[in-house]
Amino acid sequence: MSSWLDRIHRAARMLRSRKLRELEMDEELRHHLALETEANVGRGLPAEEARRAALVRLGGLEQSKEACRESWPGRLFADLGQDVRYGLRGLRRSPGFTAAVALTLGLGIGANTAVFSLVNGVLLKPLPYARGEQLVVLRQPDARAALADMGFSVQEVRDYREMSRAFDSVVEYHSMDFTLLGDGDARRVRTGVVSWNFFDVLEVKPLLGRTFRAEDETPTADAVLVLSHDYWRTLGSDAGIVGRRFEMNDHVHTVVGVLPPIPEYPNHNDVYMPATACPFRNRPDTLASRRARMLNAFARVAPGVSLAQAQADVDGVAGRLRAAYPDALPRDSQARVALSPLKEDLVRQARPTFLVLLATVALVLLIACANVANLTLARLVERSRELAIRAALGAGRVRLLRQLLTESTILALAGGALGLLLAYATRDLLTAFAARLTPRAAEIAIDGRVLLFTLGMSVLTGVLAGTLPGLPGREKIAPTLLGDSGRTTGDRRRQRMRASLVAWQLALSFVLLIGAALMLRSFENLRRVDAGFRGDQVLTARLNLNFSAYFNAEHRVDNERVNAFYRAVEDQLRGQPGVLSIGAAWTFPLNSSFQNDGTFQIEGRDAPGGPAPKATFVGVSPAYFEALGVPLLRGRVFDERDRAGGPTAVLVNQRLARRHWPEGDPVGQRISGDRGRTWRTIVGVVGDVRQEALDREPPDAVYLPFREFPGFSAILFVRTLGAPGRIAEQIRAAARTADPQTAVTSIRTLDDIRSEALSSPRLTSMLLGLFAAVALVITAAGLGGLIAYSVSRRTHEIGIRMALGADRGRITAMVLREGMSSVLIGLVIGMAGALALSRLVTGLLFGVGPNDPICFAASALVLVLAAVAGCLLPARRATAVNPITALRAEA
Amino acid sequence: MAGANVDLLQGTLDVLILKTLVGGPMHGWGIAQRIQQVSEEVLRVNQGSLYPALHRLEDEGWIAAEWGASENNRKAKYYRLTRRGQRQLEAETESWQRFAAAVARILQTA
Repeated sequence: MSSWLDRIHRAARMLRSRKLRELEMDEELRHHLALETEANVGRGLPAEEARRAALVRLGGLEQSKEACRESWPGRLFADLGQDVRYGLRGLRRSPGFTAAVALTLGLGIGANTAVFSLVNGVLLKPLPYARGEQLVVLRQPDARAALADMGFSVQEVRDYREMSRAFDSVVEYHSMDFTLLGDGDARRVRTGVVSWNFFDVLEVKPLLGRTFRAEDETPTADAVLVLSHDYWRTLGSDAGIVGRRFEMNDHVHTVVGVLPPIPEYPNHNDVYMPATACPFRNRPDTLASRRARMLNAFARVAPGVSLAQAQADVDGVAGRLRAAYPDALPRDSQARVALSPLKEDLVRQARPTFLVLLATVALVLLIACANVANLTLARLVERSRELAIRAALGAGRVRLLRQLLTESTILALAGGALGLLLAYATRDLLTAFAARLTPRAAEIAIDGRVLLFTLGMSVLTGVLAGTLPGLPGREKIAPTLLGDSGRTTGDRRRQRMRASLVAWQLALSFVLLIGAALMLRSFENLRRVDAGFRGDQVLTARLNLNFSAYFNAEHRVDNERVNAFYRAVEDQLRGQPGVLSIGAAWTFPLNSSFQNDGTFQIEGRDAPGGPAPKATFVGVSPAYFEALGVPLLRGRVFDERDRAGGPTAVLVNQRLARRHWPEGDPVGQRISGDRGRTWRTIVGVVGDVRQEALDREPPDAVYLPFREFPGFSAILFVRTLGAPGRIAEQIRAAARTADPQTAVTSIRTLDDIRSEALSSPRLTSMLLGLFAAVALVITAAGLGGLIAYSVSRRTHEIGIRMALGADRGRITAMVLREGMSSVLIGLVIGMAGALALSRLVTGLLFGVGPNDPICFAASALVLVLAAVAGCLLPARRATAVNPITALRAEA
Repeated sequence: MAGANVDLLQGTLDVLILKTLVGGPMHGWGIAQRIQQVSEEVLRVNQGSLYPALHRLEDEGWIAAEWGASENNRKAKYYRLTRRGQRQLEAETESWQRFAAAVARILQTA
C-alpha cells in the first residue's frame, strides 16, 4: 500500500499533467472505438450502425470520459476550481438573484458578526489581567439591612490579608473625587485609592514609567500618581509625562507611570494614588474604627486553591474576627464575607442583554438562510434545463450538488464580506452601547476570533442554504430536456418544501416580533415612569471643591466655609434673569452609583431582633424640592435654620412614612441614624423620588439638611424660566468667582439625566425592533415569492376558474388563503417557541410579563399584515390573468 | 447472447484485469476481448467501467502503461503488470479462491 505522502505526490503530479492525461484518454478511447467498430463490421453490421453499437457498448464517449476522470486522483481540487469558475459565471448571469442573496446574507451575517464581537470582547475573552480567573471580589454583606456589601474598614482589610491563607494577596480600593491643579482650570479627577501592590495583584504592567512600590505606601512618602490610559490621552498622550507634577490635596504629586488600557472596576478612574495618600482614609478616626467601612477589597486566590476552599477559609477568618470584635458588626448580623470571581462582576449586567441579542441575530440569520434556500429552489426550476444538460454529459448527482454548494458558498462569502463591512461600520455605536453595561467595552474589537467566526458563519450559511433545496430527482431531467414544462412529482415535493421553509420563517419572525414587542413595551413603561421630579428646565452641575483648602485646624472640613461657598454661588445665580430656584444636594436622582444606604431607629420602637428600618440618606438644601418639583406632602421643608447647631430636623419620603406610620403622622416623631446618639425630628414628608434608577422603586429616603452636612462635592439644581442651557456659563462663572479652585463638571439638564438612564434600554429595544423588522421583511418577501411561484404554476387553473365566472375577489381570496395557511402554521409554531423562550428575557423586562397577551396579539397582527402585504402582489398578478391567453398558453 | 451474461461483481474486474495481463502487455480493448473469450463468453465486461478501472490500477502502481503500435500500426496504450501488481494478484487470487470455496461449500450443504 502506498503511503499518504505518495498519494499526495501523485495527486500533485496528476494535477500538473491533467492536460496530458486528457489527451491520452482521448487517444485511448478513440483507439478502443475504432477496434470495436471494426469488430462489429466484421460481424456484418453496416459501418454507421457498427460505430453506434460501439458507442452504446462503451456507454457513451463523454460519460465514459467523465467516469475515468472520476477515478483520477486530485479530482477534488480540479473540480473545485471548475465549480468556482462555473459558479461565478452563473451568478454574473443573474445579478438580481446574486444581489438579493448577498444582501440578505450580508444583513444576517453582519448582525451576527457585530453581536459576536460584543460577546467575544466581553464574555468570552479572558480578562486582560494575567491569570484573571484567580481574581475575586470580597464582599461583606449586611443581611439584616439587606445590603450586598457594606464594605471593609482599613483594619478589616489588614486582618483578612494577614489571617487568610487562601490568598496570594488582598488589596484595598476606594474611589474619590479630588481637585487637580496644574495647568489652567481646576480639574476634578476621579481618583482610585489603592494598595501599593494593587496593579501587581492584577498583574498589570505600566505603559510608561512604573506602578506603585511598597515605599509609596507610607505616611511620609512623596505623593505619587499613576494615570489611567484614558486620562493620559486627555492630557495629550505626552510620552514624557512621567515626572510631571500636579498639585492635589495641598501636596505636590508626581506622575510616576501610565496604565495600559484595561477595564477598570468597580469604576473608571482618572488617576490612582497609594492608600496612604488619601486624606479621608487616613484620618485618625477612620484608621481607628473597625466600623468605618469605606473600602472595597479584591484578592488573588493562591494557585491550586479553589473558590470553595477560599470561601471556607475567609468564612473561618470572619468567624474569628466576629469573636474578637463583637461590636464591629451590627448585632444579629451574620459574620460572612462573600467571594465572587471578578470576571462575573465585570459582565453581570451585560450578559443577559448580550445573550438575548445573540439569540436574536441567530434567528435572523436562520430566516435569511431559509430565504436564500427558497430563492435557490426557485432558481433551480429555472436552471433545470442547464442541470439536465450537465447530467446528460455525465455529471453525477454528487457533482451537481457540489456545484450548487459551491455557488451558495460563494454567495455566503460575499454576504460575509458585506457583513464585516456592516459590523465595522456599527462598531463604535455598539461599543458605546456596551460601555453602559460593562467596563470591558473597550476590549470589543473585530479581531482574529471574530473574523474566524464570520468566516465559519459564512461557510455554514452557504452549506445550509445550498443543501436545503436538495437536487431535482433523476426523473426530472429527461422530460425537461425534451421541452416539457416539467410538472412532475419532484416539482410538487419541492413546492411543499418551499412552503414549509416559509412556515418556519414565519414562526421565527413571530418569535422575534414578540421579543421586540416585549422590549418596546417595557421601554415604553420605563419611559412613562414617574421618577418623582419634573425635569424640564432644570440644569444640574457638579461642584467639586478643592476640599483641602477647607480643612480646619483639626483636619476636618470647615462646614462654615463650605456653606459660605455654596451660598455665594447660589446668591450670584439667584440674581440672574430667568432663574427660579436653586437647590443643592449630595446626589442627583437616578444615580445608580450613589450608595448611602443605612439603618435607623424610631424613637420608642426599639424592637431588637426584627430587621432594622433601612433608608437611603441624602443631604439636600432648602430649595432642593422646589427646584426639582418634588411635592411637600406634610409639614415643612428645610430652611436656613436647619444648620449645625440648629433644630436637628429631617425629612422623610412618603414611602418611608407609609411603611412606618401607616395610620399616623410621622411629623414630630424622632429617628436616629447613629444608634441613639442624636435624635432628629421629622419635620415634613415629601414625595418619592427614584434616586437609584428608573426601573427601581424609589427607596425609603431620609433627607438631611445640606447646610448641616455640606459635602465638598455637591450637585447644584437650577430651575429656570426659559431654556436652561443659557445658565451653564453663569454657573461656571459663579463657581469661579466664589472659589477659583472649584471644578465644575457634568453640566446637563435633569431631562438629560433621565434620557441617559433610558439610553441603554432604548438601544436594546431599538436593536431588537430593527432585527425583527429585517426578519419580517425577509420573511414577507419569502412568502411573496412562494405565492408568486405558485400563482405562475396555476395560471392555467386560474384561467379556467375565471372563464367559469370566478371574479377577482374570489381569486384574490384563493391566493391569500394559500398564503395564510403558511401563516397559520407559522403562528402556531412561533407561539409555542415564544412561550418557551420568552422567559429568557424576563430579566430585561420592566412592567410587562414575558407572556404578555397584548404583545403576543400585536405581534401576530403585525405578522399577518406583513404576510398579506407579501401576498398581495402575486394576488394582483393572479387576478390580471387573461383567461383566454392562459388557456391557450397550455393548450 | 445477453441472457447468459453475468454481471461482474464489484472489485472482480480488477483481479481479472491483473490476471489477463500475466500473459503480457495488452491494450484496453484487447483486455476486454480476452476476458470474454477465456470465460467462454460468460463474463461480459462493461466497457464503460473498464477504462476507469485501468486508470485506477495504474494510479495504484499495479499496472504500468506505455504507448506502442498495435497490430495494424495504430497508436495504442499498452498496459503491463508491475511487480507490485504481481503481488497484488497473488493476494487477491488467494482471497478469491477462499471466498469461492466457502460459497461453494455453503451451496452444497444447503
